[in-house]
Amino acid sequence: MGLKVPYVTSYLSEHFADDEFGALQGYERRGGYQAAKKALREMTPEQVIELVKTSGLQGRGGAGFPTGMKWSFMPKDTPKPKYLVCNADESEPGSFKDRILLERGPHQLLEGILIGAWATGASRTFVYVRGEYAQPAAELQRAVDEAYAKGYLGRNVMRSGFQHDVLVVRGAGAYICGEETGLLESLEGKKGQPRKKPPFPAEYGAFGMPTTVNNVETFCHVPHIVSKGADWFRSFGTEKSPGSTIFGVSGHVVRPGLYELPLGTRLDEIVFEHAGGVPDGRKIKGVIPGGMSMPILPAGQLDVPMANEFLRERKTMLGTGGVMVMDETTCMVRVGCVIGWFFRDESCGQCTQCREGTGWIHKIMQRIERGAGTREDLDLLLDIASKMEGQTICAFADAAAWPVQGLLRHFREDFETHVRERKCPFPASFEL
Amino acid sequence: MVISAETRAKIETEIAKVPQKRGALLAALHLVQAELGHVSLETARELAELFELKPVDVQEVVTFYNMFYDRPQGRHHAYVCTNLPCSLRGARTLLKQLEAHLGVEAGETTADGRITLGHEECLGACAYAPMMRVDGVYHEDLDLAKAKQILDGLK
Amino acid sequence: MPRITVDGVELEASAGRTVLQALDDAGLLMNGIEIPHYCWHPKLSIDGSCRLCQVEIEGFPKLQIACNTPVKDGMVIHTRTERVKRAREGVMELLLIHHPLDCPICDKAGECKLQDYAFDHGLKHARTVEPRRARKKRVDLGPTIVFDQERCILCRRCVRFCREVPKTGELGVFDRGERSVLETFPGLRLENDYSMNVADICPVGALTTKDFRFKIRVWFLDDVPGVCTGCANGCNVFLGTASNKVYRYLPRRNDAVNETWICDAGRLSYKEIGAADRLRESAVRGEGGRLEPASAQDAIARAAARIRRLVDSKGPGVVAGLASAHATNEDLAVFKRLLEALGTESAGLVTLRGAADALLVKEEKAANATGARALGFGDPRPLLERIRGGGIDALLVMGHDVLDPSLLGGTEALARLDTVVLMDTHHSDLERVAHVVLPARHAAEKLGTLTNFAGRVQRVRPAVEPAWEALAEAEILWRLGVALGLAGFEGRFDARAVSKELGQRWPAFAGIDWESVGDDGRLLATLVAGGSPAAGTR
Repeated sequence: MGLKVPYVTSYLSEHFADDEFGALQGYERRGGYQAAKKALREMTPEQVIELVKTSGLQGRGGAGFPTGMKWSFMPKDTPKPKYLVCNADESEPGSFKDRILLERGPHQLLEGILIGAWATGASRTFVYVRGEYAQPAAELQRAVDEAYAKGYLGRNVMRSGFQHDVLVVRGAGAYICGEETGLLESLEGKKGQPRKKPPFPAEYGAFGMPTTVNNVETFCHVPHIVSKGADWFRSFGTEKSPGSTIFGVSGHVVRPGLYELPLGTRLDEIVFEHAGGVPDGRKIKGVIPGGMSMPILPAGQLDVPMANEFLRERKTMLGTGGVMVMDETTCMVRVGCVIGWFFRDESCGQCTQCREGTGWIHKIMQRIERGAGTREDLDLLLDIASKMEGQTICAFADAAAWPVQGLLRHFREDFETHVRERKCPFPASFEL
Repeated sequence: MVISAETRAKIETEIAKVPQKRGALLAALHLVQAELGHVSLETARELAELFELKPVDVQEVVTFYNMFYDRPQGRHHAYVCTNLPCSLRGARTLLKQLEAHLGVEAGETTADGRITLGHEECLGACAYAPMMRVDGVYHEDLDLAKAKQILDGLK
Repeated sequence: MPRITVDGVELEASAGRTVLQALDDAGLLMNGIEIPHYCWHPKLSIDGSCRLCQVEIEGFPKLQIACNTPVKDGMVIHTRTERVKRAREGVMELLLIHHPLDCPICDKAGECKLQDYAFDHGLKHARTVEPRRARKKRVDLGPTIVFDQERCILCRRCVRFCREVPKTGELGVFDRGERSVLETFPGLRLENDYSMNVADICPVGALTTKDFRFKIRVWFLDDVPGVCTGCANGCNVFLGTASNKVYRYLPRRNDAVNETWICDAGRLSYKEIGAADRLRESAVRGEGGRLEPASAQDAIARAAARIRRLVDSKGPGVVAGLASAHATNEDLAVFKRLLEALGTESAGLVTLRGAADALLVKEEKAANATGARALGFGDPRPLLERIRGGGIDALLVMGHDVLDPSLLGGTEALARLDTVVLMDTHHSDLERVAHVVLPARHAAEKLGTLTNFAGRVQRVRPAVEPAWEALAEAEILWRLGVALGLAGFEGRFDARAVSKELGQRWPAFAGIDWESVGDDGRLLATLVAGGSPAAGTR
């Protein structure tokens, strides 16, 4: 039951095994809040943004957008209050890193938020925690209360004259609220249906105010960058994708769990060396490298560094770093059914292609799995996916289309066998 | 009035925290559900009044989110995650066994009103599969015996 | 002013508008430049969800929705490329995978955008073998609307309409994804004064009005432009006619009057045209004191004889005219001319008042009170006092609104008159005291103009022809003038000629006649305030 700390740690998760680290005192004893003090007392907001830009930090919520640049979009001269939103709606299947960052290092997150708030001039941060994360939300709330008591939040943060408030709010079970504008709608007490753009959040965000939304892990990197500098940060990872990240490894591996490793660590190294490979001497069949929205890679293509510049060449992406491993028993049509159901169930239902396409894909997947599919269905799946991709308000439809394309790109044979034999040829596969 | 004065007071506290009243609607729904178990039409009407919304606006929100229920539920909620990482490690098999054990299908409540059994999408416990969320608490690295024991312990 | 190019057509757009809005502003949307769309509506907030209006914009890697993309100077837009074609095909195919395809029994068939766009932009065959979603049929949404959930494409126009226009917000979309479904809150109904507009803006057969449902196939209807006569707003309508019958009013867009809306009461007021209580027969009171049928010509001759006798014996001052705010500017101009030619100044305007709202409905419950005032008809109370006091012997009266409790409250005061000549569209108690009864034409049956509360002169034309002998009040009065041998009443009645004379005789109408106002109407040169009924412009 207890939360398992990462098997491999680096600067983010170094102290996660240490129970004291979650408490303000323990956090400070290990150097916590020094970065925030430095930023608030010694740096201008512009300098912080410049530093984060130089560090090359990219958002860790899936899209990988440069954080410093995102912060620079916040309007400077506006009479309106500005807001930060911390996206703690972690719900990308295969991803479970934010949960431990919230539970084991809530002050690290709050410190990152404070620095981000200073840099963007935000007066408030809303931390939107997915509804199911009751425990992580409680841990964070406890930390927020501590920070207020200590004067690290509130009217006069660290006696710098800067004011900042943090509000922890709970979601209620909808994957789409992880999309930043779906999240904003939800924050406003509405259905979590993503907003059309323009306007963009930096102009019209939470409650109509200029807003920047960053993922939990993204904020957590920031204190380390401020303390140790951009060069230090860039000593981790690749030139284009600096820093470490917490990979979540799940599925058919000996040691499923979290691994904080530099970006650019090879996928096969993560799967075989760190996670111990597939158990019981079975062979590996495929790996989804970055959460369920990202296209799968076959066993032969795992020699790829886990950074977008390399993964893109293999037509997939880092996403949230959720690595899902499938062994040779796995039926890829069943995988398609599980993925298809998820996106069918979670589509918000606004855009035509997404609302209707996700359901259709799932039904076709199921039909093929039942042995009632045709050869035409395979191309039909790709055709539907292509009609969804890039054509909707948010990236959800892309996320629903890409895995289908990935499965058919690398495992078309599985689908064809189902059609030919009129049944599922993988009796040992996981049960649907 | 179905929403108690105590819950109403808590809702007012939540409203005071946000820049616009409606921003506390999800929090309010969590609160009324904690008190009443589900959000009945009457509850939705009362919330609409409290938030100066139309009842249909509240109902839209209730029906959009998985964690809000528009009909009565069992005394306990047990949700098995059946997303891919969990399925790869037997979650769907486990769910079927639990369905047989409780004599209900996923989404249903046992005849004695004790447990509503369901499946959920990824809960962020992918490495610790199979898992289930029982009354908000995560139970991980399950097998059938452990899962049965947990469910049988619910009153 | 940003200039944009759409399919090679250059146009100037207003800053801050989106591509679709700019095309709509320029009158080019679906009128030269075809960008199919469902969720976008010119008078509702932008939704951006149907995704059908995607276009290719130079410099953008992805297709963009025209409804929400702000115009920028120099923007070059293409609406007919292969990518756009494919995107439209995709949207149409996906909208149709669950559609019941029940066009033969769907009342929207023939004016359904799902049909039209599927034909124009869709695949020509279905590729789905999956069973279609079963949903609720014939949902009784409220007093006016029936809903078919299976046909709904979730464009949410109706949801936004109820929230943004009448601000009653009865509708919502419950659940999410493909389970999304349009509903009212259980136990509450779609019930507001503008509810039937949702059927107009529903691009498919999901929302239909109980009133029009299954009355006739729309392709049998002719759409005749006209004006609703329910109140002084003068909402522009299309009269849907077939076989000389009006089946419905649909709001006709006029951004200066009613945008794209009409109130339910006004919409249903078409029923008065074909009502059973229409006055269908001219009549004169015979020797025995009973009304006896007559031809219009004979009835007019009888009226002329009675008036002539009175004028000759007592002078013209005992003859009076009560004008109706339902009559057209032309009717009233002829009325005024007749009274003047007779030499009487006894005249008044009858217009009833009722509740108004902040949207369209105006207090004055007739279409032409402002026009009547501009033509010199004013407060009827002095005249009614004279009638009660016995100072009037003959009354020419349009319509029976004068019987309203706010005015005479009954026929008693009129029973004492020597002569009552009634011109009316519908039966009423007024016939009991009338000596000559002449069926008049409804605004839907004649050529003329009506001046709305804001002074906008709008035209009507005969959409249907009464199956009985009925004349426009202008013609009745014209013929009466001829029969009386009055100056200025020579030759045959010519409605267009009368209209042309409006501007010549009445400065407020300068430059205005039936031809010149067009189908969008035109403002009076000078406006007569509605609050001062006696004021006239001469």
